[in-house]
Amino acid sequence: MKRLPFTRLLLPALAVLLLTASGAFAQQDMTHVPTEAFKKLTRPPAAFAHDAHNEKAGLTDCTACHHGEKDGKRDPASDTAGIPCADCHAVAAKAGKTPLERAFHLQCMGCHLTQKKGPVTCGDCHKPAAK
Amino acid sequence: MKTIADRLIEDEGLRRGVGRLTPEKIQKVFKELVAGECGARMKTYMETCVRCGMCAKACHYYMSHKDPSYTPVAKVSQTMWRLFDADGKVDPEVIYQCAQVAYTECNLCRRCIHYCPLGIDTGYIISVVRRLCHKLGVTPQYIQDTAHSHSATMNQMWVKDDEWPDTLQWQEEESREEFPGLRIPLDVEGADFMYSVIAPEPKFRTQLIYQAAAIFHAAGVSWTMPSTPGWDNSNMAMFSGDSEIMARVERAHYETAQRLRVKRIVMGECGHAFRAVYDVANRWLGWKYHPVPVVHSVEFFWELIQQGRIKLTHKYADPVTIHDPCNIIRGRGLMDKLREVVHFLCENVVEMSPNREHNYCCCAGGGVINCGPPFKNVRIVGNSIKAEQLKATGVHTLVAPCHNCHGGLEDIISKFGLNMHTKFLGDLIYELMEKPE
Amino acid sequence: MHALYDLAVGPLAWLAFAVFILGSIYRLMSMRALALKKDAAFVAYISWPHAIRSLLHWVTPFGALGWRENPGVTIVTFLFHICLFVAPLFLMGHIVLFDTFHGWSWPALPDGVADTLSIVVVAACAYFLWRRLSVPEVRFVTRSHDWLVLALVGATFLTGVLAYHRIGDNLFMTTLHVLCGEAMLVAIPFTRLSHMLFGFFSRGYIASEFGSVRFAKDW
Ligand code: HEM
Ligand code: HEM
Ligand code: SF4
Ligand code: SF4
Repeated sequence: MKRLPFTRLLLPALAVLLLTASGAFAQQDMTHVPTEAFKKLTRPPAAFAHDAHNEKAGLTDCTACHHGEKDGKRDPASDTAGIPCADCHAVAAKAGKTPLERAFHLQCMGCHLTQKKGPVTCGDCHKPAAK
Repeated sequence: MKTIADRLIEDEGLRRGVGRLTPEKIQKVFKELVAGECGARMKTYMETCVRCGMCAKACHYYMSHKDPSYTPVAKVSQTMWRLFDADGKVDPEVIYQCAQVAYTECNLCRRCIHYCPLGIDTGYIISVVRRLCHKLGVTPQYIQDTAHSHSATMNQMWVKDDEWPDTLQWQEEESREEFPGLRIPLDVEGADFMYSVIAPEPKFRTQLIYQAAAIFHAAGVSWTMPSTPGWDNSNMAMFSGDSEIMARVERAHYETAQRLRVKRIVMGECGHAFRAVYDVANRWLGWKYHPVPVVHSVEFFWELIQQGRIKLTHKYADPVTIHDPCNIIRGRGLMDKLREVVHFLCENVVEMSPNREHNYCCCAGGGVINCGPPFKNVRIVGNSIKAEQLKATGVHTLVAPCHNCHGGLEDIISKFGLNMHTKFLGDLIYELMEKPE
Repeated sequence: MHALYDLAVGPLAWLAFAVFILGSIYRLMSMRALALKKDAAFVAYISWPHAIRSLLHWVTPFGALGWRENPGVTIVTFLFHICLFVAPLFLMGHIVLFDTFHGWSWPALPDGVADTLSIVVVAACAYFLWRRLSVPEVRFVTRSHDWLVLALVGATFLTGVLAYHRIGDNLFMTTLHVLCGEAMLVAIPFTRLSHMLFGFFSRGYIASEFGSVRFAKDW
């Protein structure tokens, strides 16, 4: 498989972009990562309060997460805010495409590791819903 | 917990031997031995033992004492590991302990191989400990005496060159009364086989030679015995750790057979001798297998029976049980043939349990009985499990086609008051066969 | 803690796998070279058919005398070793890491099953610990090395289970788990855990001797 050994090394560059860009859709109601596309859940959905997260992380540029695609590569220039991740990242992706679960993991863990902030372990995201 | 240090037994050979040692001397010899004679096999065994203790129940010493210092792995831990830990630089007293464990508390019976999931051959490790002790000159007096005898006379019992043919001729004469035409053919070139025995036979069990001659005579086979040194197939140097003399003895044996141009060697009912000729000395001499075909009596009798050369007047009526000698069962797989022979001879066979490859050792083999009176109790008390096994059969006749086994079993029988007596196959065949005029 | 975790799942993980795999190859090859150089009188007898026949008995629970006579150890050790391999190889947490960072993915066991298997390993370690402390014939031969390897295996599985159940600080526990797992992998070629590498050969050799020279079974 021809992949960069450490995909997450690409992310610092993205992070710089995120911080300087601006504009976000408010998603007040969101408490966890949307999981509708998965037929069956094996773990509790990852906790994710969109607005609170972005405020805490100082995120203003939507493309930090809502990127587009160009030539089979991540394209940070196009803003895809409003389009569900699952529309592009199929759960069972074709070869060369990033499946949904990997996309989520990369997105969250990758950034958290470069930022040295935020949850990175299984259990810190996949928590049973608080009662 | 008790260790070997708590049960040391005084032996002149061991005591004098360690008296000549220093830690430096020991280390030098140990390192030479490891560099010269040990390789991947020893290294793997030393490294991979997971110390699970599964081998404990394999060993009759442990089963008899239920003391953890008698398990196979404990024997290695009290000897070889100790030496490796200290890179061989140990106190002479440690060598005394190693020698007592190696010579008197392990029969090299290999039963533990059936228990160790990693296939560690404790018998091999212990024989390397013996090799070290031999090189250090720390050997029990009695077994060393037999090794000296091998060295000086090529036989185990100081039988002199002229005593040997004299004894054979004496037996021939004796038998003439019963079998007028009987011969014990000496040095017959081109005979079908050379018959060889252990030196204790001419020394004090001559009637076994008599019986063998009678059986061969009745069967009408072509055989011979050598009149020269090389006739003894026993080999205590193998067990004292003296590989050089062990190899000289067997070389003489093989070469005697080759000089007589016999097709093969048939060996008397002895186990350790078979091990030496069949499986050990050949390696030291650089032969993958023994250079002359070798057959143990059990197999030879089996052949004679198959060929219809042995006819019985009647079968042995009293129930008998069978002892499987390690060196021809775990050492040669003769368990089925042994049974076929015994069933041919006896009406009623009661198996002991466990048996065949899983049988308990007699506790005399591996040179242990040859360490003599100082250690006699070690092997008798150390085998109460065998006494229980024998007793459970409820029979009074024990067939054991091995000299060492006879020695060990008789001691156990008398110590534990079992009402039993031991028999060789030769005893039974001689007793039951149709005797020619 | 993030930096340590990043180090542990990144460079250290590579290092651990490299040491484990290359170290194992090195140990096997150098042992083979030593055998060819020094053990010709034994190597000559190696007979694969006999070795395989015996190994088949020994990898079967109760298929050999030693297993039958030690039923407790047999049950525990078979469960232990099977779970030891199956749980981590088909563990979602492990597969996800490979999937996320390398794009390698393979089917995972349901979490509940993997969790049970892992707990079995921890329980087996506890049983081994108990044996070492209180079974005289095991205690007599136990040395510090044995505690070390048992601790490495036990700690790896215990921290894994704790991390899965989100007991304790999860980042701390997971990091600790990863470090223990890596230490264990590194230890395999260089400690008594090398029985994984050499065990088949030591059994195979003695089986060859028994089968081809002595015509007797060794199980
Ligand atoms: C080499 C680096 C390793 C990494 C990066 C790693 C990573 C992880 C992670 C992230 C988890 C949490 C999974 C979850 O919460 O579901 C986990 C759990 C676990 N890991 Fe590892 N691990 C490593 C090595 C090992 C090794 C070598 C073993 C054992 C041979 C092992 C056995 C386990 C077990 C038993 C669990 C808990 C499973 C459960 O109870 O459900 N890990 N590991
Ligand atoms: C194919 C590979 C392996 C085989 C055939 C194997 C075989 C064995 C056997 C036969 C035992 C002795 C029985 C017992 O005490 O439970 C044992 C013990 C043990 N094995 Fe393995 N093993 C293998 C791999 C491993 C691995 C990869 C590990 C750990 C990383 C491991 C850890 C242990 C431990 C800790 C013990 C001893 C438990 C104690 O202290 O008594 N084994 N193994
Ligand atoms: S006497 Fe037999 S069972 Fe006991 S340790 Fe020696 S070879 Fe193993
Ligand atoms: S059975 Fe084998 S591995 Fe276990 S303690 Fe005995 S020799 Fe060592």
